[in-house]
Amino acid sequence: MNFWDLLILNPMVNSLLWIYSVLWQNFGLAIIVFTLLVRLITYPLTASQMKSSQAMQEMQKSKKWQEIQKKYKYNREKLAQEQMNLYKEMGINPFGSCLPTLIQFPVIIGLYQAVIRALAVTPIQLLDLSNHIYPFINAARLIPLNNRFLWMDLSQPERLLVFGFGIPVLAVLVVITTYLQSKLMTPPTQPGDQSAQMAQAMNLYMPFLMGWLAYSFSSGLALYFLASNVFTVIQYAATGKVQWSNLLPGMKKTTS
Amino acid sequence: MKSKHFSILFILLILSLFLSACAGGAATAASSWPGLTVDGETAYLAYNQHVYAINVADGKEKWRFPLEANNKISFYTAPVMTPDGQLIVGGYDHILYSIDPQTGKEKWSFTDAKNRYIGSPLVNQAGIFAPTADDHLYALDFQGKLLWSFPTQGAQWASPVADPTCECIYLASMDHYLYAINTSDGAQVWKSEDLGGSMVGTPAYNTDGTLYVGTFNNEILAISSENGKVLWRKPTNGWVWGGPAIKDGKIYFGDLTGTFYAMDASNGNLLWKLNPGTGDASGQGTQRSNPDGPIVQTPLLTDELIYFTTRVGSIFGVSYSGETKFFIDIHQLDKSICGDPKNIKVRPSVKLFSSPVLAGDKILVAPTEADELLYALDANGKPTWCPFIPEKK
Repeated sequence: MNFWDLLILNPMVNSLLWIYSVLWQNFGLAIIVFTLLVRLITYPLTASQMKSSQAMQEMQKSKKWQEIQKKYKYNREKLAQEQMNLYKEMGINPFGSCLPTLIQFPVIIGLYQAVIRALAVTPIQLLDLSNHIYPFINAARLIPLNNRFLWMDLSQPERLLVFGFGIPVLAVLVVITTYLQSKLMTPPTQPGDQSAQMAQAMNLYMPFLMGWLAYSFSSGLALYFLASNVFTVIQYAATGKVQWSNLLPGMKKTTS
Repeated sequence: MKSKHFSILFILLILSLFLSACAGGAATAASSWPGLTVDGETAYLAYNQHVYAINVADGKEKWRFPLEANNKISFYTAPVMTPDGQLIVGGYDHILYSIDPQTGKEKWSFTDAKNRYIGSPLVNQAGIFAPTADDHLYALDFQGKLLWSFPTQGAQWASPVADPTCECIYLASMDHYLYAINTSDGAQVWKSEDLGGSMVGTPAYNTDGTLYVGTFNNEILAISSENGKVLWRKPTNGWVWGGPAIKDGKIYFGDLTGTFYAMDASNGNLLWKLNPGTGDASGQGTQRSNPDGPIVQTPLLTDELIYFTTRVGSIFGVSYSGETKFFIDIHQLDKSICGDPKNIKVRPSVKLFSSPVLAGDKILVAPTEADELLYALDANGKPTWCPFIPEKK
């Protein structure tokens, strides 16, 4: 057994199965609660990331930094050196915002794989699952997992039949919430800020990518995407970091 | 700005490919093991994107269905032959196909199912009985017309079993229940008690009217075919995936821990067993004389030996007294028959899930995750023709 399975995937799969067993054997609810729990457990990382991002934004806005930028406009090496000095002066860890994200990355991938593994809709997947269940989980009682949730079969791509047409409701919700999430979390920008332009481009493409994944794969995954988006927005809203103004064009702020 | 958009698109494309791989969504990735049937001189092999008809005499391909690979279609259930000469095979595309076994051309298809066909259909004079993962058993006539459907509370991965003494069939479902169903109208004759775990192996039917079935609750059970009552139940070391095989009043089966059992069919008393790992039960003393991995399929019973495979790629031949007489590691097979054996390299990842199938004096073995889709072995385990590798078309 490899370290990935041992440290990330197996604990996640078994937690998911345990939650499923106590939540009336409802896999949809289990996915939602499991996503919430993982978000709560990884909150210190998220909080640290938010704090670092905020500190970086403060620095970007500071007069001192703008002066340095002007002064060393044509000397990139010196600019980088001064930037590092300013980080030190303001007590900012330049990796403070990306490191927590990097640490969260395996968690997100693990979550994703855990949902796939627990659904086990083909013989090889189920055989694989059988190798990873802890002895205290009563697998005989739980399997097969009840894949029904609302109108969905969580092991199949979701379509809501309306007058004979299959509407991918969940995929549409994933597109909308991914868009809202990215808009609400994008900080105020400075004119000409290159990273902001990149962020805007990501905000444009990411919802469609996530929507396509939600459209194509098992609705269990789409439900995870949706729950994850909603909890992320709630988490940011709880800390007062949500940029509601980004949703209304007239209210959009830029830093000057 | 254009180049930035391009880079973001590129990153997202890579991300989507990565997520697709994680999801196992690629149609070409094997999600089950090959289904193999032999009818006369032809072996029919369903694996991944094709059903192949292969000449048993020389291992040459006669035809494949469909001619062109289609990412949306894959097959893993063993094809079955109807009394009027149609080859029936269920796909992961939720479609049941009838194929002309002479030409490989489609005759008809049944498209009502809403999920995969994982277990093979049962075919007898009464019709075609196809279990599906959409929790329904579909009964069809030989023209593909739906006669009735029978719902259960869970997916149906096991093939039903026929009872020649009545107009009925028995169906083991993943919902933990065994059902007796009237073949003329699809009515339920009886339903067993909750047997404690899912069943994915086809039950064995004994002529004395007893059914034998293994469950994921680490048990093997004997059930009366008359009323569905449990006659006896015995614990096993692990999940029983494949159905047991029965011969001369004894049942033979393996479990996912790699333990192989022989039991008295009348009372479930253990006659002998092969423990997983090293040779502690058979007395052979060699490291590989006992099963070396999970056993997921029904064993093949011949006059001389019991054959079964283990996931790690081993084929075992065991005597009816429990001695390992025959052991082959598929990775170590002698391929000198292929001319330059360097041309055939068995990947380390190759596994064996499917049961060996008897074809005259040959034993056919279909591995998983291999380039070579079919091996034909003689009684000593020597390949009789170069393993079948489909030509790229």
